[in-house]
Amino acid sequence: MVAIFRYDNMEMTLLIGLDAASYILTLLLVCIGLVIIFGMMNVINLAHGEFFLLGAYTVVLLQQYALPFAVILVVAFVFVALVGLLIEEVVIRRIYHRFLDTILATWGISLALKQLVIILFGPGSQQAVAPFVEPVAMFGITYSSYRLFVMAMAIAITAATFFILFRTRLGLTARGVIANRQMASCLGVNTRRVDRVTFAFGSGLAGLAGAIMAPLMSVDPQMGVGFLVPAFLSVLVGGTASPLGALWGAGIIGGSNSVVAAVWTPVIAQIVVFSLAILIIRLMPNGLTGRRRR
Amino acid sequence: MSRFSFPLTILFWVALAAAPLVLDGWNLGLLAQLMIYGIFAMSLAFIWGQGGLLCFGQSLFFGIGAYAMALTTKGMIPGVPAMTLTGLLLAMILPALAAGLLGLALFKGRGLVGAYFGIVTLSAAVIAERLATNWSYIGGFNGLLDIPPMRLGWGSWQIELYDPLPFFLVVLVAAIAAYLLLLKLERSAFGTVLRGTRDNETRAAFLGFETAEYKAAAFAVSGGVAGLAGALFAAQFAFVSPALLGFALATEVLIWVAIGGKEVLLAAFIGALAVKSVEKVLSDSLGQYWLLVLGLLFITAVVLLPRGLLAPFLRLTLPRALRRPEQATKHPTPEGRQGQNAP
Amino acid sequence: MLNVRNLKAGYIRGAPVLKGLDLDVARGDCIALMGRNGMGKTTFVKALMGVLPQISGSIKFLDQEIVGLPSYQISNAGIAYVPQGREIFPDFTVEQNLAMGQIGKPKWRNDPVDFVYEYFPILAERRKQLGGTMSGGQQQQLAIARALVGRPDLLLLDEPSEGIQPSIVQEIAAILRRIVEQEQLTVIVVEQNLDLVRRLAHHVRFIENGVIKSGVAVDEINKDPTLIGRYLSV
Repeated sequence: MVAIFRYDNMEMTLLIGLDAASYILTLLLVCIGLVIIFGMMNVINLAHGEFFLLGAYTVVLLQQYALPFAVILVVAFVFVALVGLLIEEVVIRRIYHRFLDTILATWGISLALKQLVIILFGPGSQQAVAPFVEPVAMFGITYSSYRLFVMAMAIAITAATFFILFRTRLGLTARGVIANRQMASCLGVNTRRVDRVTFAFGSGLAGLAGAIMAPLMSVDPQMGVGFLVPAFLSVLVGGTASPLGALWGAGIIGGSNSVVAAVWTPVIAQIVVFSLAILIIRLMPNGLTGRRRR
Repeated sequence: MSRFSFPLTILFWVALAAAPLVLDGWNLGLLAQLMIYGIFAMSLAFIWGQGGLLCFGQSLFFGIGAYAMALTTKGMIPGVPAMTLTGLLLAMILPALAAGLLGLALFKGRGLVGAYFGIVTLSAAVIAERLATNWSYIGGFNGLLDIPPMRLGWGSWQIELYDPLPFFLVVLVAAIAAYLLLLKLERSAFGTVLRGTRDNETRAAFLGFETAEYKAAAFAVSGGVAGLAGALFAAQFAFVSPALLGFALATEVLIWVAIGGKEVLLAAFIGALAVKSVEKVLSDSLGQYWLLVLGLLFITAVVLLPRGLLAPFLRLTLPRALRRPEQATKHPTPEGRQGQNAP
Repeated sequence: MLNVRNLKAGYIRGAPVLKGLDLDVARGDCIALMGRNGMGKTTFVKALMGVLPQISGSIKFLDQEIVGLPSYQISNAGIAYVPQGREIFPDFTVEQNLAMGQIGKPKWRNDPVDFVYEYFPILAERRKQLGGTMSGGQQQQLAIARALVGRPDLLLLDEPSEGIQPSIVQEIAAILRRIVEQEQLTVIVVEQNLDLVRRLAHHVRFIENGVIKSGVAVDEINKDPTLIGRYLSV
């Protein structure tokens, strides 16, 4: 937005549109793991921001060894998924039936993980390097190629998640367990294993999101916080009955935020978006994708 | 519900009141500071423990109270006399209004379920912090400095509460007043309906209670008490900043209350005192590891001791008329009331 | 094949519904459990599947103790369950519902399910239809088919006739009879519908106050109608 004066209206609209799309897709990238864990397991994971953080620090750490970026992304996903697995096994599985306590416990986990990162890496900010930096020229404007890459990755990861959920045996099993845990168990499904895999997968997605976003942000222990509120509002607005809710929620929250921020200021944007979110939740308590069974 | 709960409760308050006999000015100031956090913790314990509303943004009301006190006593609110009394009043009324209105907006009609309430209040606190950071009239990022100390008195007879002892006494009176007010509400018919709503909102609604209004009213009271704590904080430190509204403080108070025990006011109060004093002692020796330890302790308390560490020893029996039959016959209360708010 | 000894089970500690139940089922037998409401029929079936919070005693299935095992292991040991109310997955298609019957069973996971379509041609026609949009009788057939694709040795049916019109009950009874014979299944069926019991069962056991009171061959019921009255009428 710095270079506004060099562009005419048409191009400025395009730029705002691209920024909005970039923000929406980034939000979607952050939300998708959150929605998996919330929608599928009924756990509000307040440590999601720290999983994101761990993914970003994985990049900072591994770039010192000059590993290819693609490899780093895979490692970030696997590493954070394993962290999620451990946390599920040690803490979360003991409190599945105590809904409010899952929020508190994940809150504590968030605190501990963040502090652990501070102890290991220091409170200062670190730098992750984008694998490619040349801006791309198109339609009379130039745009960061890495931002375009992030947008593409967000779309690809969302599509892959939907494919896994709706087109594979693993996804069918997970959805079966969510729909009727006891019956699934009576049909021979090891529901504990499904819980573990689902939680680890959602955690891994958060780590992957953090890794992908790392080159665009200053990597510091507070980096997850900025996404926390918009991500949770997206989940609330979208609803958790279906992972599709994440699409809707990120679209509405991210879209309105970017547009209002471009016209007025980021602070006003936050207030407007918050009010809008409360309005939507008031009108549709279960979010846009609606009903929850059980 | 231990036999010693009542004597312990009395003993605790007497010991606090006797503190000036043994503590010097510096430590008295510290204790007053801890008690301010304790009042704040009780405000959260009331809405969370009795109302079942997990408020993740309680700092919002603490911060509004602190800013109201600061702006009033600095004479920055047009038309409001720059007095301690008006400051205290505004510091309770404004957050109570904010909480009450937010409560009505969220609970009326098809209300918000438990978890969503937490997220909405958390978002509100984070956004309020950002708003304060960007609002230059109230000091922006730097906050407000040079807030005058409290003045009490009538007409020409005025004292300035600059010394630790009188300030300590004011905080003590405030803490006891807040405790008795919340305890009285808890032990009234209002409290019974509130707990009934917490345990089973549908049933309470079927019995004819306007559960939304009860919850909003409780939230308003809680907000007002949190605001009082904020005002005292502003007066003691002569300084307010956007951080008082936000995320970090909201987290801290949750931890105090969870560790102390949300269903017993005094347990939450002592929880705040205990965690904060341990922090003062240990943060030097443990350094960065203190927060890690605190986080792990918090997780352990939530998972293994959902009722808190102190609450079992300090729970007072309800007045006979409000007891449940099983409590009256000394059976333990049934476990597993958590998770009632699940959607 | 199944030996139940002194089974005590229920939902709340200290209030067992089953109060020391004993039952032996031989391979190939088809037993109907009858009794008035609240006597523990459904509780017994749930106890077999390991879904009750309170359980003690012994259940040996194919010489393996299954009390205390998680449900999925009981299922994989060879017991299939068609619950009361059917509990099919309403948002899943017929095919997906059947897949859920195989998914947890590594041995059968990739087996074709065509053989159940032969028993239930209506399901073959409606492979892509959502389970929740089908009629009660079709859902019941789906629930039975879903149990069969896991290749069980013992089939538990809880009130298969409930909420289904009589002509369909007869049809389902006939299909079940054919399945039991061809698949060499052992069956325990909880049922109030005498017609279905007569068509399907070899033996009848009467359950009262959480224990098995007596048992007869199904022919005896046909001969002596007062038997039924003694255990079932209020």
